[in-house]
Amino acid sequence: MQPAIDASVFVVDDDASVRDALAWLLRSRHLASQVYDSAEAFLEMIDSARLPPRPACLLLDVRMPGMSGLALFERLVERGLHQALPVIFLTGHADVPTAVSAVKRGAFDFCEKPFSDNALVDRVEQALAQSATIVQGQRARELLRQRLAELTERERAVMQLVVEGLPNKRIADQLDISVRTVEVHRARVFDKMEVKSAVELANLLRDA
Amino acid sequence: MSASFIRLLSQRWPAHWRRHALWSSLAALVVALLVTLVWLAGRYEASQLQSRLDRDAADAVNDIRTGLTRNLQSLQALQFGDPKPSAWVKGANGLLRERRELLRIEWRDSQYRTLAEAGTPYRPPVFERLGRESAQSEVNQACTAARRISAPAYSTSYFVPLTDGLGLEVMELCLPLAHAGVVMGYLVATYSLQDLLDDLARQLTRSQEVSFTEGDGTRLAIRGSANRTSRVFSAQHLLDLPGATLVLRIDSWRGAPDLFPNVLTALVTAMSIALVSILLLLGKDMRRRLKAERDLADALAFRKAMEDSLVTGLRARDLQGRITYVNPAFCQMVGFSAEELLGQSADAPYWPPELADEYKKRQAIRLAGSVPPREGFESVFMHKDGTRFPVLIIEAPLINALGAQTGWMSACLDIREQRRIEELSRASQERLQATARLAMVGEMASLLSHELNQPLAAISSYATGTLNLLQHDRHNDADVGLAMRRIAEQAERAGRVIKSVHDVVRRRDQARELTAPRILLDAILPLVNLQARKLGVQVQVRMAAELPPVLCDRTMVEQVLLNLARNGMQAMDRPDIRSRVLTLGVRRASGDARALEFSVTDVGPGIAPEVAQQLFTPFFTTKAEGMGLGLSLCRTVIEQHGGTLAFEPNPPRGMVFTFTLPVGEGAARLP
Repeated sequence: MQPAIDASVFVVDDDASVRDALAWLLRSRHLASQVYDSAEAFLEMIDSARLPPRPACLLLDVRMPGMSGLALFERLVERGLHQALPVIFLTGHADVPTAVSAVKRGAFDFCEKPFSDNALVDRVEQALAQSATIVQGQRARELLRQRLAELTERERAVMQLVVEGLPNKRIADQLDISVRTVEVHRARVFDKMEVKSAVELANLLRDA
Repeated sequence: MSASFIRLLSQRWPAHWRRHALWSSLAALVVALLVTLVWLAGRYEASQLQSRLDRDAADAVNDIRTGLTRNLQSLQALQFGDPKPSAWVKGANGLLRERRELLRIEWRDSQYRTLAEAGTPYRPPVFERLGRESAQSEVNQACTAARRISAPAYSTSYFVPLTDGLGLEVMELCLPLAHAGVVMGYLVATYSLQDLLDDLARQLTRSQEVSFTEGDGTRLAIRGSANRTSRVFSAQHLLDLPGATLVLRIDSWRGAPDLFPNVLTALVTAMSIALVSILLLLGKDMRRRLKAERDLADALAFRKAMEDSLVTGLRARDLQGRITYVNPAFCQMVGFSAEELLGQSADAPYWPPELADEYKKRQAIRLAGSVPPREGFESVFMHKDGTRFPVLIIEAPLINALGAQTGWMSACLDIREQRRIEELSRASQERLQATARLAMVGEMASLLSHELNQPLAAISSYATGTLNLLQHDRHNDADVGLAMRRIAEQAERAGRVIKSVHDVVRRRDQARELTAPRILLDAILPLVNLQARKLGVQVQVRMAAELPPVLCDRTMVEQVLLNLARNGMQAMDRPDIRSRVLTLGVRRASGDARALEFSVTDVGPGIAPEVAQQLFTPFFTTKAEGMGLGLSLCRTVIEQHGGTLAFEPNPPRGMVFTFTLPVGEGAARLP
């Protein structure tokens, strides 16, 4: 499996040695990682700098002084980040029920300490893959939104009818414009949406 | 018959009427007695008067007789020396002047012819109206009699009417004048009976009437007032004279005020009054007593109602230990009826047979006069159906009205419910403590696992990462070295965690102090007794004398003792074990002079060999609710104190757990 170099793994744990050991482990599997010693520090980071639009995941210790891992997870849920940033909880045995309930609320997984390390890294990679899919989708939707934003009012109306599969003449009748004008608009829509055919356009819009 | 009458009375009449009837008859009897006494006293008085009157009458008759005899002598003296009739008349007149009762003196010859005569100067001539001859027959009668007996004789009395319309009762005396046995003549004297009485009456009182009567009661002469309105006493005395017989009668009367005429009657009356007063006082006293009785009955009824309504059992015993009283609550408590209990002197039926000896001893102590504790003591009674139940007994001496002790009064409270509540609260408290302990253990475990998990997780990560690196061809030795150092650091960190736990335990060493064994036992005995009562276990303490104090953490050692005692009691909690005895003992250790040996001995079923092997293994338990930490913790505690915990069978049955504790160094001996 080829390492996704541009992916990043965030590690939030109050214990420096655990942070360091995890970073070491991830690096041994060619995964870059950023470590934070508290939930507050991590929150500050994502608040001050937008997350780069690339696959990422979060290894989060449940039990920490100050804001707990669970509280941080709640914040992420509030911001809708927990899909693009899958969360894997690291737990002691006493925190298992907490972690289970977190998984039910949308966390990616939890790992009990002391963990079977390569299995953890495997889960990290799966999380990154999920994140990558989501990030890709997000990127595509963003692109589509940009393209749609470039369309004029008349072009959008023509596109709507094209996607519905109406011939140009009918479109011209409905919009009370000439067939010629329809053809010009249609060509411009195809151009702006970077598609070659009406079918391609319809697929693009359906995916979005 | 009177008895049957009284029975009839008592049957027919209510008590109230019976009492009235008795009182009435008593009063009637007393009144009758008094009347009789007064009457008898009156009778006695009357008889006294009568006899005095009789004596007076006899005296009067004697006086009259004496007077008549003197007159006779005076008359005889007239004839002295054969006087001439003229001289005789002179003498006769002198005599008549002297003696008023003599009306007339005549000197007659043998043919009754009058030779000389003299009449009384105090009256007009008596025979003026009828003439002297009218009385000749009486003269003849007297003189005939006189001649016959040759002595003076009297005639019967006769009435001589006087010229003034009245009359006189007179009597003739004939004195024969004899000379050498031949009657030469007679002296005839005429007596007035009235004057005889007058002469006599000077000696009599005013309230007396004296009279001469004939044999048939006809009054011939009377002297004194004739007041006959009131009671009259009468005395008669015969005055018999030669030739005539008269009856002297004296009447005496008493007025009405003389009902109580003398001291005797007065005394009787006074005593009667006193008697009646006493009767009245008695009656009043009786009423007071009746009221007191009613009040007492009310008080008794009140007391009985109170005793019957009590839920506290009451029992009274005399000084011989016999039950003299029980109230319904007591009967209900023990299930025996009052008849079954009263008078029982030997073992009371509500004593459990296995404890009877102990109770007998206690009763002997009580009867010997020892005063029981005011707050009472606890005991066990047996219901008639055999169930045992705990009671609280409060005893107080029974003191009678004279201040002497007659027995003991005991109030008995059934404390089953109280026990049950105590037991419940104790059990729930224990559960709570156990839960708290469990929670604490859980918390400890969680903390410990977290503390150990961190370095372990780090070690694991470094190791895995290093392995990952080593699988690559182009690995960096410096990186691997770094990882190995990190692993060593984390391993050391884990070691520190373990050590810190030890430190926590070791820190308790500072809590050790010199403690007398007695204090350790005293601290746990209340808790042990509480459970012992529930399980019916008898707790015995065997402590050797002169034991030195031990150096120990009191709380921990007490927990060990409590744990062992509870295990022992629970082991004996089986229906087949009747006599349950738990013995707590302290003595010097046989092997080590510097240690004391504590022992907890039960008579339970003992411990099977396969169980004995695992006895001190943590989390091994034979109890449904146990955690399996008790004995292993006990051993740890004892070993931390430098002692040993061991166990062995206690023949014939049961187990004995022993542990040793070192004696405090340089400590003075404590009692």
